[in-house]
Amino acid sequence: MTRKKRRKLVGLLFVLPGLISYFAWTLYPIIKSFIMSLYKWNINPNIPNKFIGLKNYTQLFQDLKFYVALKNTIFYTLITVPGQMIFGFLVALLLNRKMKGQTLFRLLYYLPVITSWVIVSILFQYLFAARGGLVNFLLKDLLHIIQKDVPWLSNPKTAMIPIYTLGIWKGIGWSMLIFLAGLQGIPKQLYEAASLDGANSWQTTTKITLPLMVPTIVFELVMLTIGGFNVFLSVYVMTGGGPMGSTEVLSSYMFKEAFDYFHFGYGSAISVIFFLIVFTIAQIQRKLLAKRSF
Amino acid sequence: MKKAFFLLVVVLISTFMLAQVKEVIFWHSYSTASGEYKLLTEEIIPEFEKEHPDIKITEVQVPYDEMRRRLIVSTAAAQYPDVMRMDIIWVPQFADIGVLLPVDEEFPKDFQQIKDDFLPGPLATNYWKGHYYGVPLDTNTRVLLWNREMFEESGLTSPPTNMAEFIKYIKTLTKDTDGDGQIDQWGFADTGFGPWNSMAWIYSFGGQILDPTNSKAKGYVNAPESVEALKTFKDLYNQGYIAPIGGGGIGVLEGYAEGIYAMTFDGPWSWSIIKGQYPDAEINYSLIPAGKGGSKSVVGGEDIVIFNSTKYKEEAWEFVKFLTSKDVQLKFATVGQMPILNGLLDEPEIKEHPFFPVYLKQLETAVPRSPHPAWNEINDILDSAWQNAVIGGVEAQDALDNAAYEIEEILNDYR
Repeated sequence: MTRKKRRKLVGLLFVLPGLISYFAWTLYPIIKSFIMSLYKWNINPNIPNKFIGLKNYTQLFQDLKFYVALKNTIFYTLITVPGQMIFGFLVALLLNRKMKGQTLFRLLYYLPVITSWVIVSILFQYLFAARGGLVNFLLKDLLHIIQKDVPWLSNPKTAMIPIYTLGIWKGIGWSMLIFLAGLQGIPKQLYEAASLDGANSWQTTTKITLPLMVPTIVFELVMLTIGGFNVFLSVYVMTGGGPMGSTEVLSSYMFKEAFDYFHFGYGSAISVIFFLIVFTIAQIQRKLLAKRSF
Repeated sequence: MKKAFFLLVVVLISTFMLAQVKEVIFWHSYSTASGEYKLLTEEIIPEFEKEHPDIKITEVQVPYDEMRRRLIVSTAAAQYPDVMRMDIIWVPQFADIGVLLPVDEEFPKDFQQIKDDFLPGPLATNYWKGHYYGVPLDTNTRVLLWNREMFEESGLTSPPTNMAEFIKYIKTLTKDTDGDGQIDQWGFADTGFGPWNSMAWIYSFGGQILDPTNSKAKGYVNAPESVEALKTFKDLYNQGYIAPIGGGGIGVLEGYAEGIYAMTFDGPWSWSIIKGQYPDAEINYSLIPAGKGGSKSVVGGEDIVIFNSTKYKEEAWEFVKFLTSKDVQLKFATVGQMPILNGLLDEPEIKEHPFFPVYLKQLETAVPRSPHPAWNEINDILDSAWQNAVIGGVEAQDALDNAAYEIEEILNDYR
């Protein structure tokens, strides 16, 4: 074996565990669910599955509940992704300065990220409770913005608001951490040079920080968009898709169809469409935003 | 050499004996902290094994929330337990995908007796397409909880026994006690709009969800009586006599104990939930007020099923019969599990119980949620229909006509 070949082999061995898990846990399920989506799939392996071609898809495209779930997922992403990024960036800017208790603050902001979705969802249910909830107390009794208690989670018009709020609150820490890493990667000399030239802080932020942060921003945008599309537990726990199906999102709808109703073929069709949407958006984002910086 | 030979003999004998013992694997969701679990593992299983030395019961506890997922994975991998305690509404669904043993067909002689001895409502939850795929193991239902103190404050002395009284009392008991213009005491409260909650209304009003054969919805889910039930509930709710449902905040049972809600419907667990937080609270149970359809409530609980992949049909069935025998059922009653047999009302374990008599009486007429593999879907359609009418402002008739249409579509797949 030549030296070159051996080096290639060693390299392959290093990436092999990752490759295996990628094939087993990512690629295989994607292919399998595409195949399942063409069948009326029975989970009992002893009963043959019925091939029905694209019928699951034609049914899906006429399914009003699917469009509600799609709309909710898109709105969730459109609202929580900028929310997490803007607040995350502001907090990162604050915590990037030298100050007392820096580590403590970083920890505090990161804490929501590592807490369980189930627990904070239950917590938010209490915060947004119609009677005796903290949010209603603040808005009604303290600030007098509203006259009557708002039944946030049981009104189809307001039920998504607690879900958005939780999504943003829980994501700020992660967004902050990535921005912080990006900020610290910017060479200090650039700021020194700029200050010698008399640039004010607004100018250094817009002319140095932001442009150099583009790769970080793109990374966050792609990751958070994917995360946004995957919203599930907060909906599942806080509203269960209700009231009147008004908070159903793609993954909760897919879960319901497959695991509650045993429509595994139909559920797979939802997940295939879901995959195609997320894949396309991620590609577009990368192409559009990454062109200039890399 | 002699020693080695001896050892070999011992090993041979013990493997021979092990081969004779038939291991029956039993899945259940009894919480490991519960009295039921202690009784099951320390008393009931050992007793059964003593009576049947050739059978070994291996119990596997899986928390309820995980059980369904685990069962689905097991199904996909065709790896089942022999016996399982299963939520009643899952039974037709798993029967339909062909993994459960039709016990009435396998053990026809025993089953004749079962039909006489068991409460009809719980037994019906095992029925799908001409066969019974299990037998009930424990049961529950919802009855009326009424707050005596609040009743007396409003000049009422006893719980409502019929629908007209019930509606009148709900209105009487709803008040603005501190005079700030907002209602702060309600005559009735409940936890949701789904069939678990609404069936007491629907069936007591004389309505239905599906026909007796579970194959037709039109003319049942939207029968005049079913519409009347929804309409009555909707009007009471929108006029503020029923506490707002959902939206978090204080729980219904807590509100009942604190004197915010005068009445609710709930299961036998309400006792330990309320007593756990309010040890001094007085809890009064009564039958669901009777309407045109009588006093009807919804059947809850668990069935015990045998998977058709089992190697030990007879042994599994022995265990099932043991668990549903009168002695074992009465033992379970002492730790709070409601028995599924007829005619236990005079047994001392039941008679002296603070609330089992009311529940068992209610169970004589309680209605199971239609045993159908697509029940989960039917459940969600009805839940939406009630929500659409009550909070979405749709006419009761339109909401239920639409539900009938949607349910018919689903039933079509199973005809």
